[in-house]
Amino acid sequence: MSSPRTIRFTLNGEPVSATIMPHETLVDVLQHRFDLRGARESCGQGLCGCCTVHVDGKPVSGCLFLAVFADGARVDTVEGLARGDALDPVQEAFIEAGAFQCGFCTPGFVMMVKQLLKEHPEPTDEEVRHYLTGNLCRCSAYPEILDAVKLASARQAEAARRA
Amino acid sequence: MTLLDTPRKHGDASDGGAIGARLSRLDGKLKITGAATYALEQPVDGLAYAVLVPATIGAGRVARIDVAAAKAAPGVRLILTPDDDLGLQPATDWNNVRASDGPYVPLPRDIAYNGQPVALVVADSLEQATEAARRLAIAYEEGPVTPGLDSPNAGEGSPLDQLSVAWGDAEAALAAAPVRVEAEYHTPREYHAAMEPHGLIARWEGDRLTVWEPSQWTHSMARSYAEWFGLPPENVRLVSPFVGGGFGSKGFSYGFGAIAAAAARRLGRPVKLAVTRPQNFAAYGGRAATRQSLALGATEDGVLQAIVLRGASETSTVGTWVEQVGAATPLMYAVPNFSARQRLVAVNTVTPGALRAPGKTPSAFAIESAIDELACAVGADPLEIRLRNYAEEDPQARKPWSTRRMREALAEGAEAFGWARRSREPRSMRDGHQLIGWGLATGTFPVIRNYGEALVRILADGSAEVVTGATDIGQGTYTILAQTAAEALGIPFERIDVRLGDSALPGAPVAGGSKLAGVMTGAVQKAAIAARDELIALALNDPNSPFRDTGANTLILADGRISAPRGDGPVVSVGELLGRIGRERIEVRRDTLPDHLQTPEGRFRAWTTMTTVQGPTAGDYSMHSWCAHFVEVRVDEDFGTIRVARMVSAFDCGRLYNPKLAESQWKGGIIMGIGMALLEEGLVDSRNGRVINNNLGDYLLPTNADVPDIRVIDVGIPDPHASALGGKGVGEVGIVGVAPAIANAVFHATGRRVRRLPITLDALV
Ligand code: FES
Ligand code: FES
Repeated sequence: MSSPRTIRFTLNGEPVSATIMPHETLVDVLQHRFDLRGARESCGQGLCGCCTVHVDGKPVSGCLFLAVFADGARVDTVEGLARGDALDPVQEAFIEAGAFQCGFCTPGFVMMVKQLLKEHPEPTDEEVRHYLTGNLCRCSAYPEILDAVKLASARQAEAARRA
Repeated sequence: MTLLDTPRKHGDASDGGAIGARLSRLDGKLKITGAATYALEQPVDGLAYAVLVPATIGAGRVARIDVAAAKAAPGVRLILTPDDDLGLQPATDWNNVRASDGPYVPLPRDIAYNGQPVALVVADSLEQATEAARRLAIAYEEGPVTPGLDSPNAGEGSPLDQLSVAWGDAEAALAAAPVRVEAEYHTPREYHAAMEPHGLIARWEGDRLTVWEPSQWTHSMARSYAEWFGLPPENVRLVSPFVGGGFGSKGFSYGFGAIAAAAARRLGRPVKLAVTRPQNFAAYGGRAATRQSLALGATEDGVLQAIVLRGASETSTVGTWVEQVGAATPLMYAVPNFSARQRLVAVNTVTPGALRAPGKTPSAFAIESAIDELACAVGADPLEIRLRNYAEEDPQARKPWSTRRMREALAEGAEAFGWARRSREPRSMRDGHQLIGWGLATGTFPVIRNYGEALVRILADGSAEVVTGATDIGQGTYTILAQTAAEALGIPFERIDVRLGDSALPGAPVAGGSKLAGVMTGAVQKAAIAARDELIALALNDPNSPFRDTGANTLILADGRISAPRGDGPVVSVGELLGRIGRERIEVRRDTLPDHLQTPEGRFRAWTTMTTVQGPTAGDYSMHSWCAHFVEVRVDEDFGTIRVARMVSAFDCGRLYNPKLAESQWKGGIIMGIGMALLEEGLVDSRNGRVINNNLGDYLLPTNADVPDIRVIDVGIPDPHASALGGKGVGEVGIVGVAPAIANAVFHATGRRVRRLPITLDALV
């Protein structure tokens, strides 16, 4: 077996380090070393999106992303979105639109939607549906997720107009 | 206000109270921030990690397992195989029957299906356990495999006489009928595929066991563990505050749980077993494959004269699960002659189980396809034929419906969909290369009643708490129980907290059968009203109460404040009143059990078995939820690809406690129905009975891109017979009828009648 390594990275804006084995995935390290449980494993094969986090501003499947590659990177998770008690507009829109039932898939969706709105600030319905195809929700809150994206996008646009 | 001028409830926000309001989820913030902790995320110190080793043959026995190499692997703490006597006793089943011929052997030597656990390896880390499991040398003696229901060697199975239903003389009436449609319909194995995989953490402290396991029924699952290990029930606690979807799979404890808990006991160390995604396709059963031959006899006008159903479903060789293919057939239409029979065929699979609307879903696929075929045969509109055969009462039980707003569902659904613009002939609507088809089908799910227990606390700060062992698997238990308490207590929704999902808390039935909301809102309302009454009695009588000398004989609780009815006395907050009378809290525990169950045995049975359940026709009425689905599909003329373009579904589920959550359940069920119609099928390797597509890439689930615009319409009215607050079941009815609606639309688009699910392009080109 190979030996442990110490990695340093920025986690939700804070510099952190962890001594890990090279085979450990990012989602495992977040769950077990940092008690961040929002990104979670469902398929373990990059097929469902439940483990989605951002590395250097891009969404990755944390179940396939080896934590050693996070060395020196910026990692953002759903836990870093809220500012104190104030939720991120995407989180707020998800609650308002009722965009989840069991909630297991939700952090992964939220992180993917953050990226979607970065790339397409005012997406069409078809853009949303296709962009989010890699995230599975067996409760099938898909229609409400679409509503939430539109809501968040409209608010974002409104805020931009006012600014 | 007296009882007489209690306003009629419409079940929506117009009622003004918390019940019926479109409130957002109480647990929304916890879930959206990642703070909700699911069972396997529970931080437990000193965990050892277990890996389940599945059989790789479809039938036969384990000849021997050489564990030497695995034992020598780093970090390995324990290996359990069929050579180990786990010393377990059988657990009671949901009929309250306990096998007397122990022991219970969750790691048997005989193999009944591919994927059956043959060993458990426990190590200091998951990686070590996984590696050691790979080093096990397992020798099998293979036996002949019956991989599935349609396998040549599966046979006809055995008759299920208790499911035979008959009235009139169906065979003769069918033979005499001027119009007959007869066909065979097939549905495949389907899987729950909840995003949260199964598994558990088991921790022993002496002879007390705590299990963190995703659960739809904490009390019953705790009972299983207690019985396996010969413990008094109170020694086991099963904890499951958040559940990542269940759909019927998380109502029971399974063999893997017994094995992992036995390992934890032997090791003297907590054990975590995460069932891998592939193992989730064999560690517990999904929906059984079914086959139905269904014949309808009718007049030339399409008025039904006879229905004859001969069905079969699969089960395992080691357990019985009946996917009741006749569950919806006798309910949907008025018919003077009826006969249904079902056979059960044992094959080499894990015992199938309940998956969202068990029975009703495959049943509706056949009858709702067949009625469409009849409409075509007699040249009637599919909507019109349903009205022509409208069942004014339950044709089987011969009881009046409590409420059946099917006419309204059909009318309002058709209106919203634009059904009147449908052209009758197949292949008559198109958009370029796309053939357009409009289809319709209806669905039903019974109202099932049971009992529940809840504790309500009014706290010194003026907030309140609802506590019960019921679970929230995503359907919204947290939210609607808070709404119920808010309305009964006159305390704002935002000030109500709800604790759920723990077998140490008051009793509740399974979150299954679409009954938990109806049962538990009743229990919470009862407890909350008792708590309110106690508070009012104290306010009127306590020497330190400001209401003591007002002469009022009752008080009003609203918006967290208490006042005299005429508004002429003091107004104090609930918290202030409790302070003045020197009480920290009001705490009331109530159940809805009838007198004959008010014994320790009766209570235990009510919370842990299905024996106190009352079916839809237990009383004077026949009670069911109803729906009608209208679908537009677009089929590519050259490639046969099918897309659902839009859907309108109208529902009668009685009063809705929270329309926002109910609509989400409906849409979720509809989308699962789209999966059933077009995507989902467990594929089995005929050589060895292995589920080939046992992952989320190959077992196709609907994704965002598969989901069309879905409009849902509520046509329900409160049903006073169905539940204390007037609701009927919501969670399951949505899936029922979706697959036949899509199949009917595909026929309308293409002229091809597909009777085998899922409908894939190879059936169309
Ligand atoms: S768990 Fe990573 S994609 Fe499914
Ligand atoms: S909310 Fe349950 S899986 Fe998406």
